[in-house]
Amino acid sequence: MASRAPAATGRLLLGFRKWYYNAAGFNKIGLMRDDTIHEDSDVKEALRRLPERVYNDRMFRLKRAIDLSMKHTILPKEQWTKYGEDVRYLEPYLKEVIRERKEMEEWSKK
Amino acid sequence: LKVSTGCHSYQEFVTKLPSGLVIASLENYSPASRIGVFVKAGCRYESLENQGVTHLLRLAANLTTKGASAFRICRGVEAVGGSLGVTSSRENMMYSVDCLRDHIDTVMEYLINVTTAPEFRPWEVSDLTPRVRVDKALAAQNPQVGVIEALHEAAYKNALSNSLFCPDYMVGHVNADHMHNFIENNFTSARMALVGLGVDHRVLKQVGEQFLNIRSGVGATGSKAQYRGGEVREHNGSSLVHSAVVSEGAAVGTDEAMAFSVLQHILGAGPHIKRGSNSTSKLTQGIAKATADPFDASAFNANYSDSGLFGIYTISQSAAAGDVINAAIGQVKAAAGGVSEADLTCAKTQLKAEYLMSLESSEGLLDAMGSQALAGGTYHTPEAVLQKIDSVSATSVANAAKKFVLGKKSMASSGNLIKTPFVDEI
Repeated sequence: MASRAPAATGRLLLGFRKWYYNAAGFNKIGLMRDDTIHEDSDVKEALRRLPERVYNDRMFRLKRAIDLSMKHTILPKEQWTKYGEDVRYLEPYLKEVIRERKEMEEWSKK
Repeated sequence: LKVSTGCHSYQEFVTKLPSGLVIASLENYSPASRIGVFVKAGCRYESLENQGVTHLLRLAANLTTKGASAFRICRGVEAVGGSLGVTSSRENMMYSVDCLRDHIDTVMEYLINVTTAPEFRPWEVSDLTPRVRVDKALAAQNPQVGVIEALHEAAYKNALSNSLFCPDYMVGHVNADHMHNFIENNFTSARMALVGLGVDHRVLKQVGEQFLNIRSGVGATGSKAQYRGGEVREHNGSSLVHSAVVSEGAAVGTDEAMAFSVLQHILGAGPHIKRGSNSTSKLTQGIAKATADPFDASAFNANYSDSGLFGIYTISQSAAAGDVINAAIGQVKAAAGGVSEADLTCAKTQLKAEYLMSLESSEGLLDAMGSQALAGGTYHTPEAVLQKIDSVSATSVANAAKKFVLGKKSMASSGNLIKTPFVDEI
């Protein structure tokens, strides 16, 4: 979604993206974008493949967010996830899962 | 290079590349070709930290590599009607592919990928754990496997005492790093051989030069096997007692090894006729005088690169176990006193027949060529081997039997061991 910007309008687009990220609001409860991704079967398989540390960090962030949501509060501003800190940790695994699934589908067509 | 025209000639070619890789091929004019990559990476090269890694490697042969995903390897090999398999012994690992001659390029690509560039993705490796358990459960069904693993554990201090199967405490704990390290240290060019049946030698040579020299050198040297002579007893509820008593034998390729093989056939190396009386087996004839219960006995002979084991393997009813084992040992002692010419000739013929029959199938032939290529970098023709067998004299056979009688014994038994003697009581 946010990775195919041309270099020419770089600064403008970057500003827009940062604004959109903050407006989306999930960073206020300490989540990263990949924590909020909808869990379909590809994502479930990619999550299964996460290394243990990354998976544990994700679980911690989700638990903290659920707790905040129950208390109807948000984190103090210093603890909000910054746009620069948001790592797309699931993306390589998800890409690989989708590539494998497509390969299987290609073979089944033959 | 000798290229045959007209009359078919079965010429073996063996080349040793500067990197140490040995390439051997035989054009057998068969419609199906078979290629194997042999590596000196059996379970004897496992260290105390990575016990069980070769078991995992055996199961990981179909996992994703840098060039192809696991799915693609499976479907690709199936699509050309071929097969990809891996066998490992205590000394070597053998990856082999076979398929119709025309499709050999496809499967060769997968074979090279599997042996040189596996990725061992962490989730794929941890998915192997149930398969390890299944392997171990299947092995546990078979008492012979347990006894032979226990025998090696009892007989050696290191190297050859490692089991072919992953030990219980390592199931689920062998990870991708162990496997990568093992490959880095052991799958080096100097310890590999590329063998082909029904493949052009030049093609193999090209493949060997281009793809199989990723890791050069000798890698980590294995330790020399130290024989110690011990005993392992597994008392369980089985009414049949399996017992193996051995002492140190001969290393592969020595004249002594040939004498041990002949002695093995004099004593009895398995029945030749189903439900027959096994009349040429000295062990069977001798033990039949000691007990009326059903039993089975054969001579056990194993040859490794720097050591060997020779002795007897008996299966008997638990009450008669002591009599059977003592009678069997008695027969070997009798052989140490001298063997008759008739027995010697009979055993030599049986050994020759067994050897030649093992070369009849393409798996057996590939295995023989590969093991010889790894062990010595050459190929001994069947005629040369038959001559060696013929040159074994009665004295060398008697000396081999003496070596067993005088040597420090190792023993492994399983079953209801109430009447089974300890190794020092034999």
